[in-house]
Amino acid sequence: MPPHAESDALHARARAFVAAYEAGAAMPESFDDLACDLARFQAANVPGYGRLCRARGFDPARAQRASEAPAVPTEAFKATRVAAFAESETQAIFRTSGTTLGQRGEHAMRDVRTYDVAALAFGRWALVSDLPSKRVPVLVLGPSPERAPDSSLAHMNALFARELGVPASSAETYFLQDDILDVAALDERVARALMAGDEAVLVLGTSFAFVHLLDALGDAPFALPAGSRVMQTGGYKGQSREVEPARLRRELAQAFGIGERSIVAEYGMTELSSQFYEATAVSPGAAPGVLIEPPWARVVPVDPETLEPVAEGDVGIARICDLMNVDSAFAVLAPDRVRRVGAGFELLGRAPGAPPRGCSIAIDEILNTP
Amino acid sequence: MSAGADERLQAVRRLLAAARAVAADASVASELARTTGLSPQGVAHALAHHLEHDPTEAELASLMTYAGEAEAVLVILSANVFAAALRAIAIARAASARVYVRPSRREPTFARALVRASDDPSLILAEDFEPEALLAGEIHVYGRDETLDRVRARAAPGVRLRGHGAGFGVAWVSRAADLSSSARALADDTIAFDQRGCLSPRVALVEGDAARADAFAAALHGALGELQTRIPRGVLSAGERAQVAQYVALMQFAGHARSSAFHVVGSALAAAPLVLPPAARCMHVAPTADVASARELLLPFTRFIVAFGADDTSRAADLAPAHARLSRLGLMQHPPLDGPVDLR
Repeated sequence: MPPHAESDALHARARAFVAAYEAGAAMPESFDDLACDLARFQAANVPGYGRLCRARGFDPARAQRASEAPAVPTEAFKATRVAAFAESETQAIFRTSGTTLGQRGEHAMRDVRTYDVAALAFGRWALVSDLPSKRVPVLVLGPSPERAPDSSLAHMNALFARELGVPASSAETYFLQDDILDVAALDERVARALMAGDEAVLVLGTSFAFVHLLDALGDAPFALPAGSRVMQTGGYKGQSREVEPARLRRELAQAFGIGERSIVAEYGMTELSSQFYEATAVSPGAAPGVLIEPPWARVVPVDPETLEPVAEGDVGIARICDLMNVDSAFAVLAPDRVRRVGAGFELLGRAPGAPPRGCSIAIDEILNTP
Repeated sequence: MSAGADERLQAVRRLLAAARAVAADASVASELARTTGLSPQGVAHALAHHLEHDPTEAELASLMTYAGEAEAVLVILSANVFAAALRAIAIARAASARVYVRPSRREPTFARALVRASDDPSLILAEDFEPEALLAGEIHVYGRDETLDRVRARAAPGVRLRGHGAGFGVAWVSRAADLSSSARALADDTIAFDQRGCLSPRVALVEGDAARADAFAAALHGALGELQTRIPRGVLSAGERAQVAQYVALMQFAGHARSSAFHVVGSALAAAPLVLPPAARCMHVAPTADVASARELLLPFTRFIVAFGADDTSRAADLAPAHARLSRLGLMQHPPLDGPVDLR
């Protein structure tokens, strides 16, 4: 089968997972079956993955489980192209944020629909599935996709605004312009929602955007409609003071006048097509700090040296299998520390580099140099 | 030369003689192997080949000029490679007749032994000397940027701070180079202090196509393997082993990784962005079409490059940052004792 046709067929199988999930039906096939077919496809069509498989002595033709396939370090997205198709066929490119070295990881997509259906289905579940209204005002403390065309987060926020939100203009939706949060416009938009009797709004933003908002508000309340939800994602990247997660959750809940369980953490990255959420807003028994995977993605803590799974309950770095990453890397190795907890996992921050010995500089030091 | 300067020069000479005595002291070598994590052979090799205790008169004159004169000097040593303490103390003593030496807490052995062996009343071991306690003169601080910033914030007004931070070395293999001998020379540079020094090469740029760079990587892999039998790598921490494993995984995807249990040589694809491998006998080899493309690859890293080694130093002079110490391959870890190694 030509690569295009094979890719199309794999996309269809991936999206069938999402369709089944949304229909409340059984998954159409096993996770491992699709994962192994993705491994075979990517080994044949992503040159780097073919090299990685050969170097690891992994024969995709014989693969039976997703866990057997080597994972691609997220750094590879900075070092080389990770794509199973020609550049001319690229439909979208998402890039990681820049570093001191100016290197940005790139995740090219040939068919962004698969990303969209997966992001939307699981985001809808985690954020608004229990709300009586099918659509709510969506307020984004981030740039519009026009302002940040290569940001996967901006793309996802826009998707949520379009598919989960009530009709609204860009000015009524995006409240970050040129890195400045327009608190007055946000206040006006919330006031209109309250006057209109909206039961809820959905506020989407990064941790540092919320810290900027809290700093701007001071002690002043900023009440949202009672059933509102907040999706908070990402780290700080030096763009604001850092606030410990539980404290940020508490302060946001106080400022917005909503329960802490309505503040939902999301974990995602440019190199993936799937996201992970706390289930606190929609599942009464869900613990804060525990992120849940959709049925098409798995997070396994692995030993940072052997890259083998650690014992249950131990901390490792994240090996993430994402069946929606059809044309790039279905298995990704991220330098984030994670631990399995019940039906989900905890995110424990970025794995620190080894303490340096001698005066040879570490890459983390270079990246942290202003 | 003034009487004061002459006294300080003679004191530096005595310090160098003391360094030779310390290098011959088996108990110091044994303690260094325990505290640094280098292998006993690695310590012996460093003491025998990388302790600059025999400068020329011209180098000493340059050292004195660089040092200038100070009422007092506080030398704050961080966990640099142990031999760096000699140069640091020599510069301080060249500048002043009152030198306080605060050794690294993690690796105090060599500095302590050197000060004691020098039997110089002007050299004072001051393990708890705080920066603000020096009211006049200079603080020479060696360490990472955050250490420099902390000391700078605490220095008394009027006290001059001379900081020497972390960095790394780059090797350049020109189109005319013999790959085999260049690889052997670079392997020598790499194994010194297990690559932990700011002069240690971590990246090798090979002029030519990817096949030539890969041939160099293969030769370097062989040379590092041979050296391992004589000068084994020391013990790595779990964190260092993890960084090595992840560099291997990265290069297996983004090029080619040749690894043994004790070293890694990664071969990059043409035009790929530069990757800085961990400092554990790991070398990143990248092809570059010419000097211009090499310069472009290095551009983001320029300010961090302390040493530049090349088979052809005259051509490399066009490529090396002005602040980097330029030397032939095989001599990157032999900087003359003419001032600090870090000339940034």
